[in-house]
Amino acid sequence: MSVNAAVLAAIAPLMAFFVTLILTRKRPWLSAGISVGAVSISTVCAVFLLFRHWEMTEPVLYTSTWMVSGAISIPLGIMLDPLSLLMLVIVGGICLLVQIYSIGYMEGDPGFSRYFTFMSLFAWAMITMTISPTMLQLYVFWELVGLSSYLLIGFWYEKFSAGQAGKKAFVMTRLGDVAFLIGILLVLVHAGNLNIVEINSLGPSETMSPLIITLAVLLIFGGIIGKSAQFPLLTWLPDAMEGPTPVSALLHSATMVAAGVFLFARLFPFFSLTPTAMALCLAIGTVSMLLASTMAMVSRDIKQVWAYSTISQLGYMIMGLAAGGYVAGVFHLTTHAVFKALLFLCSGVFIHALHTNDMFDIAKSSGRRMKIPVICLIIAGAALAGLPPFSGFFSKELILAKLAALDNPIWLIFALAGVFLTAYYTFRLIFIILFPKPGPSDADSTSIAADEAERHDVKPHPIRQTMATPLIILAAITLVLGFFEDPVERFLSATVTESLSASGMHHGWPAFMALGLSVAGVLLALIEFGLPKSRQIGFAERMPFVYNLFSKRWYIDHVYRYFIDYVIDRGVAKICARNDKKVIDKSIDTFCDGIVESSRFLSFLHAGMIQYRLIVVFATLFFLSLYLLLG
Amino acid sequence: MDMQYANFPYLSTLLIVCIAGLFTILFLPGREQNKIKWVGVVFSGITMVISIFLFIAYDKNIGGLQFVERVLWVPSLGIYYFNGADGFNLPMLLLTGIVFFTGVLSMWELDTRVKEFFALYFLMVTGVFGLFMSLDLFFIFVWYDVSLFPMYLLIAVWGSTRKEYGAMKLTLYLLAGSALILPAILYIVNVSGLKTFDLLALMAPGTLTPLQQKFAFIFIYIGFGILAGVWPFHTWSPVGHVAAPTSVSMVHAGVLMKIGAFGVLRVGIFLCPEGWRYFAPLMAVLATVGIVYGAFVGLTQKDLKYVIGYSSVSHMGIVGLGLSTLTVEGLNGAVYQMFAHGIMTALFFSSVGYIYDKTHTKMIPELGGLSRIIPVAAFYFILAALTSIGVPGLASFWGELVVFIACFKVYPVLGVLSICGLVVTALFMLRVVQKTCYGPPKEHHTHIRDISFAIGVPRMILSVVIIFFGLFPSFMFDMIETASSSFFKGLP
Repeated sequence: MSVNAAVLAAIAPLMAFFVTLILTRKRPWLSAGISVGAVSISTVCAVFLLFRHWEMTEPVLYTSTWMVSGAISIPLGIMLDPLSLLMLVIVGGICLLVQIYSIGYMEGDPGFSRYFTFMSLFAWAMITMTISPTMLQLYVFWELVGLSSYLLIGFWYEKFSAGQAGKKAFVMTRLGDVAFLIGILLVLVHAGNLNIVEINSLGPSETMSPLIITLAVLLIFGGIIGKSAQFPLLTWLPDAMEGPTPVSALLHSATMVAAGVFLFARLFPFFSLTPTAMALCLAIGTVSMLLASTMAMVSRDIKQVWAYSTISQLGYMIMGLAAGGYVAGVFHLTTHAVFKALLFLCSGVFIHALHTNDMFDIAKSSGRRMKIPVICLIIAGAALAGLPPFSGFFSKELILAKLAALDNPIWLIFALAGVFLTAYYTFRLIFIILFPKPGPSDADSTSIAADEAERHDVKPHPIRQTMATPLIILAAITLVLGFFEDPVERFLSATVTESLSASGMHHGWPAFMALGLSVAGVLLALIEFGLPKSRQIGFAERMPFVYNLFSKRWYIDHVYRYFIDYVIDRGVAKICARNDKKVIDKSIDTFCDGIVESSRFLSFLHAGMIQYRLIVVFATLFFLSLYLLLG
Repeated sequence: MDMQYANFPYLSTLLIVCIAGLFTILFLPGREQNKIKWVGVVFSGITMVISIFLFIAYDKNIGGLQFVERVLWVPSLGIYYFNGADGFNLPMLLLTGIVFFTGVLSMWELDTRVKEFFALYFLMVTGVFGLFMSLDLFFIFVWYDVSLFPMYLLIAVWGSTRKEYGAMKLTLYLLAGSALILPAILYIVNVSGLKTFDLLALMAPGTLTPLQQKFAFIFIYIGFGILAGVWPFHTWSPVGHVAAPTSVSMVHAGVLMKIGAFGVLRVGIFLCPEGWRYFAPLMAVLATVGIVYGAFVGLTQKDLKYVIGYSSVSHMGIVGLGLSTLTVEGLNGAVYQMFAHGIMTALFFSSVGYIYDKTHTKMIPELGGLSRIIPVAAFYFILAALTSIGVPGLASFWGELVVFIACFKVYPVLGVLSICGLVVTALFMLRVVQKTCYGPPKEHHTHIRDISFAIGVPRMILSVVIIFFGLFPSFMFDMIETASSSFFKGLP
């Protein structure tokens, strides 16, 4: 029964993918219906499974063979344990809501049908990845998740930047995936098995040396860095907003980037075998979290701010997990999925209605008159900033408590700094939209007049029902999810050994400190952006050097650009191409020319000239006599 | 007379159908182009059906050689007309059948010297079929040359972009290969003292001393390796691909390069396992260099067909890497990759052929926005590109994965290097896709009509095969496994 439901959950979107790909290309509404229907089936199955196994103690396992080749066997199966069940519900639910929202958002787009085809592919890949019982299956679907992101980010392929962003996302995550694959192979060679349950048992520590384990963990973490856009592979995610906004909502919440953190949680016991690697993971999470927060402080693009905040929140999750907080990391993943999807969907409403991504333009076009998205935006923003009673507060506190329990206080300090920055940049955006002013960018009166004229033209049309409903549902979940902390914790720790799941003290002093810092961040944002007299210039923007550094993403992209241009394109690739033409091919051609030339020389001897013949006769006699004399 | 017929001679029928098609075309008047094309479609269709039938009818539980036909042909020299099918050559026969049929369909719009083209095309494919099914060294050599010579004319007459140069280069290169193979074959037959060209008889352990095996193997490896695009003997292949007309490129990259790898396997590895073991590290190194190097050179190319040509070098490196691991998995992966790569490049060249026909250019900077103008044709192209990147769910992925796993156990460093080559492949393939299919459409191309259903059929067949074996790889792996595991059991 459980297995059947899980299979159904995975198969339904696949069927929708093929049907919409082949049969209903010319009937967009039918495609949308099939796709939404399929993902609803998956969601219903997921919720059913969650309730059925709420009290589970042993994971449900089912495997069949996909492929056997010699000693390599790749099973295709299902593993239902608390983590995968929880993830299944998140993925199914968010996919469903985003698809419903997309019906309104994408209406009239020439690629409407194609959009839902890709969405189904995405849902299939992510759902099947979630329930993978072995690493190889997980890797296969992990790659498919990457593929679907590529297709969706570059959905508006006629825009140059969209194609570029899709490519960047694919290649950057590919870079991480290569490390991931090598890590898997390392485990396979040394432990002989890629079954997740067995990797997570104490098996590997007996067959693998600590060094190999550390190496394997770090390589697998490479895949997580790529997928979850952590330092140094973080720049693809902000660019990925070139896709339609609902895609960003999906990508940033429950699917693509969540896959990385999910993998960390999936292999959590295995990762815990090596403290060295965990420390490095902690550092990378921290660096990503801080870098992305600073970038978010100076961005004018509403989607970009949320993209940076995704990176920083993912950094939090990684920090939490790396600090040993299994429940903390997974719970933050859950709450984040909901409120981040909400943030993007709200922004999508503004972008759809006002045709701009710029938060100052949205403010000027009276974006605040749109009641539902503004209220939802504030709720989600408060959750992101970690204000009670919204869900983000509870999950972030769990992580902070874990960090406080570490010996080194530096991580907690960084995390608290992150809390402050998060609250600041979130409410900077909210206040800019709520309190429009003649901004610093267009101080001259002419442009204001022009804007004024424009403002009367653009009247935000009423929000569509298909778009409003998902917003309200998500906002409601954001409001209540935090209070489910205890049940979720009990559920998650059912199958994990005690030592790993025991969370630190709850809502102790770090919680109050974090709350204080959040409020401080909100206040600072209020002073700089919200008050009637404020000039809406942030403190970071006043320092040109810092502003440049932040807005240019710490020049990380420049380094990559330089690397691709000068090392790959004009370096190795050019050398190889030249070598091919000038050395390998040339030597063959020269060899052939040599044969032709020598034949030509020989043919002279047959030109009928008596002199040449005599030379040949003499030479022959000479060599013959030499041969006879010496031989 | 020594004769063995297991049952109906399906394999010979395959050859006879090809030859019958060839003669039917020859007897038709050259001006009746449509009739000739239909004859081509019917006869190549029959071969495809037979090859699919053979693939399904092969009994995997029994394994070994099936559909055997063995006739002593020249008693004094010990030459047999000896055909048989096993897990190694059935995928190749299937590949040839599919590429042959889709190749004929892809040339539907040809209008110059149609009769001669299809006659030569049939002759070439006859040689390919013969080589894959033959188990007699003499016949293997003969079929090898039969499949090569038509290629020269096909490229030189119907080709494009420096066609005489490309054709000449290709032919000379491959003849050099056959000049290495022939002495090796004669050497093996002579030193064995068995007075037979029968491959199975020569395979018996102890026929050749290890030293003799090493000596013969290196000749066979390089001889056939030239055809398989082994680095550094690969430069004929991109030039040849570029110069050849669409369906010839398809057969050339899709099937002919596999002849090379298959020859290394069937003649080199089967007859000289000691030589294989001895030279395996060398093979692995050359293969890895090919994988990485091919990808990097592909990065700089401006011509669509050159890009595919170099990606072929890179992908055939994966085949070589699989062959060099000395494991069952490696052989499985290599043969699977041969099949997958064949279908994939056929799809690639078929789509590029359409694009070139319509836009009259295959230079990447002159193309753009094809997804808007001709969405279906662009879809096939993108599918082929994704297959070559190694996206799961598409055929190539499994071959690559299995080869990498096998390789990682035997040569960890080379394995890591070739896995890293994947990133470069992804980079250049996506670049090409972005520059040709994405972006705003070029204005002078906007009038182009999208691929019609009928013209799209060959691409459709190839796409279905790619997706089918991407989702159900075990059909192919089980088949190959029967041959590779019994081959390893038979090794001393």
